[in-house]
Amino acid sequence: MLKPKFRTAGLAVVLTALLAGCSQNSSSSAPSATGDDENSPVTFSYYMFSPGKKDVLASETTIGKALQEQTGVDWKMEYLVGDSATKAGVMIASGDYPDVISSSGEMSKLLDAGAYIPLDDLIEEYGPNIKRVYGPYFDKMKNAEDGKIYALPYTANQGEYSGSPNVGGGAFWIQRSVLKEFDYPKITTLDEYFDLIQDYKEKHPTVDGADTIGFVSLAGVANNFFTLQNPAMHLAGYPNDGSVMVDMTTHEAKVVAGTDAQKKWIQKLNEINAQGMLDPESFTMNKDQYLAKLTSGRVLGYFNYGWQIGDASKNLLSAGIDEKRYAPLPIVFDEGIKDQYVDPPGFVNNYATGISVNAKDPVRIIKYFDNLLKEENQVLVQWGIKDETYSVDEKGRFYYANEDQRKAHDDLELSRKFGFTYFGTDWPKYGGESTLTDGNAYSPGNQPEVAAASYTEGDKKFLEAYGIQTFSELFNKPEERPWFPAWSIALEQGSPEQIFTTKSDDLQRKYLPEMILGAPSNFDKLWDAYMAELNKLDKAGYEATITNVVKDRVAGKW
Amino acid sequence: MPPASSPKGTRAHSFFKRLVQQRTLAWMCIPFVIWAFIFKYLPLWGWTMAFQNFKPARSFSDQQWVGWQHYSTLFEDNTFYRVLRNTLVMSSIKLVLGFVTAITLALLLNELKNVIFKRFVQTVSYLPHFISWVVASSIVLTVLSPDGIINLLLMKLHLIDSPVLWMGKGEYFWGILGATEVWKDVGWNTIIYLAAITAIDPAQYEAAEIDGASRFKRMLYITLPGLKPVIVILLIMNMGSILESGFEPQYLLGNGMNMDYSENLDIFVLKYGLGMGNFSLGTAAGIFKTVVSFIFLFSANYIAKKMGESRLF
Repeated sequence: MLKPKFRTAGLAVVLTALLAGCSQNSSSSAPSATGDDENSPVTFSYYMFSPGKKDVLASETTIGKALQEQTGVDWKMEYLVGDSATKAGVMIASGDYPDVISSSGEMSKLLDAGAYIPLDDLIEEYGPNIKRVYGPYFDKMKNAEDGKIYALPYTANQGEYSGSPNVGGGAFWIQRSVLKEFDYPKITTLDEYFDLIQDYKEKHPTVDGADTIGFVSLAGVANNFFTLQNPAMHLAGYPNDGSVMVDMTTHEAKVVAGTDAQKKWIQKLNEINAQGMLDPESFTMNKDQYLAKLTSGRVLGYFNYGWQIGDASKNLLSAGIDEKRYAPLPIVFDEGIKDQYVDPPGFVNNYATGISVNAKDPVRIIKYFDNLLKEENQVLVQWGIKDETYSVDEKGRFYYANEDQRKAHDDLELSRKFGFTYFGTDWPKYGGESTLTDGNAYSPGNQPEVAAASYTEGDKKFLEAYGIQTFSELFNKPEERPWFPAWSIALEQGSPEQIFTTKSDDLQRKYLPEMILGAPSNFDKLWDAYMAELNKLDKAGYEATITNVVKDRVAGKW
Repeated sequence: MPPASSPKGTRAHSFFKRLVQQRTLAWMCIPFVIWAFIFKYLPLWGWTMAFQNFKPARSFSDQQWVGWQHYSTLFEDNTFYRVLRNTLVMSSIKLVLGFVTAITLALLLNELKNVIFKRFVQTVSYLPHFISWVVASSIVLTVLSPDGIINLLLMKLHLIDSPVLWMGKGEYFWGILGATEVWKDVGWNTIIYLAAITAIDPAQYEAAEIDGASRFKRMLYITLPGLKPVIVILLIMNMGSILESGFEPQYLLGNGMNMDYSENLDIFVLKYGLGMGNFSLGTAAGIFKTVVSFIFLFSANYIAKKMGESRLF
């Protein structure tokens, strides 16, 4: 009787062990030989904490190939998949750093772990162009603790400020057919915005057989929850300072959570939800589902930042139905409020790229960066190759001479192949609002000639209806905010301030949807419960910390 | 009278004798012992982190020791108790549902005489196991969305008037998760029971049939008792991971609205440990998990022993 028991038990153990699977561990980076030859071929690894791009070898793109010919350096570029905080934690815990890391939001963690080498001496010795581009910003780039420079940010603007003719930042977007239906009315307040959407929805309850969706938000994705939080401060007339609103005169920072502005915004959403205009899936769907909805033509309005929905708007553009595309509007709470959607020129010092302690050859890398920052190469990464992806008119102005040149930039696949997608950001570069020495805009998107020529018939009709030349003219010019942006203030890892951020975000993720989807009669009760919880957290301490840094920055101490 | 030590001596003697006899086997074990040591014991060194203010990439002597501080942070945090509750509930659901459905399916499959149909059912039921959680959760989200098939069906059947926001109601989360886990893993979990059933002596069935036992009776009195040792062993082993309620499904299906029910220990560790670069807190929570698992594992094993069942050790 004992034997079969043993056998089955043994079988169970063996099988479970087999089914339990095996862990894997892969690391592949063999140091390539570097000869005495300056331009001997070598491949470095480059990790970007920004998602959404395919991993690629730099030399597989036209730009990467050209730069490789100049320097002999090739790059294995890897992009974030999944959650960046997790990836950073794992990378730090294992100490398995690539040669170069672009930090995105993970800078303080990486610095804390000592992942980067100081660049000061390298720049001094090998970086004339780095000095030229970043020189004016060195003070803002220094590490607060030891005064050394560890990374090169992407916002070092050169020359005259060139604003974008198109809106790439935050806005309340509205489907153009709505505006067209009511003969392009001028709307500025939140009430007008939702009234217009409601009127349209009543007239057109379905689109291609599916129900029309009045308003949708991307609040189901944890790290995109700000899409629901931020409108409150924009509606109150502030730019995107992250989780705080900073007073222009006293420079006091006030947390948006729990303010009247937030209450007003959430209550409005509660109201439109009761009218059946809000998509309740706003709080549960993932980003893919959200983008699919935006491209379906069913959505009439949404709040978002241009960079969150890049692919969706490109797809809509290439689908060629102008009326299903969206127009940005600077919506505020009341008539008297001056909108501040457009970011003031600021300097973000913690979204940057640096050389890791594991780098095999920091000198080659810094030389590559320096070479990249030569003006002709900066033109290459933004505009491409003359007469191939852009042309120059007799006055020396850059423009796109034909559809093929435009497509090289706008078409997802082509711009990947040429390398704009890969080299346009996450590398040491001029800031996006820079002007080249010959007066052309650094970013093709900011060149008025390019923008004007890119407008479709629908665009032109829209602009004409409002009597403007560019979309950004709908928005107010930004006021000067020397601390901007407050969201780039680095909080110490695991500090009370950081714990406050996490806890208050959790609280909002839980309560805001509940308030919005609940019955309007219940709103005040829920709001009080939310405030009670929020007041238990150390809000004052957080605000004091941010206010201090803002004041320091205003005083020139970054 | 032989000296008192002699039985011991002979036992040791016979142990070495057997070792020499079975030296080939012993040699074959060595690589696995080394593997276990490197991958299972050496990492335990990292536990020291829980008692330090650990900063990565610094040497051991540079770390600051803080004693039990991280544990007091953990136990003073209300969130911790909430995630602990969720973890326990979700893993219990997973455990019970997993066992019941897998055993039932195995019993039913075993009774099937049509081999083609049996294979078909088996294949269909274990295929979802090979889908990654990312894809699986997308499927679940789509199916349960307001205009998804479930809502459509319920509306057509006039069971509900307006679409239900399944993922937005915290109370539904445990049920949804349980159903998802069953859908994904039932076929896979069945395999081991089906294998165990083949080990049951067919003569027993024949004898029972001659005695006039119905199919149901045969299942009850032959198949199930035959499966008992496997069930008990698997139960004990799973008890050890009672605090492992999984990470991916909760993370991927969770959102602000069901957070109170979906967040488990692993997500807590991710958020407050890894996410904030506070590796010490993460480790502290990890150790806590291990200790609890240890207690569960040993208790289950002890109970099995008391009940005279097969046991792990």
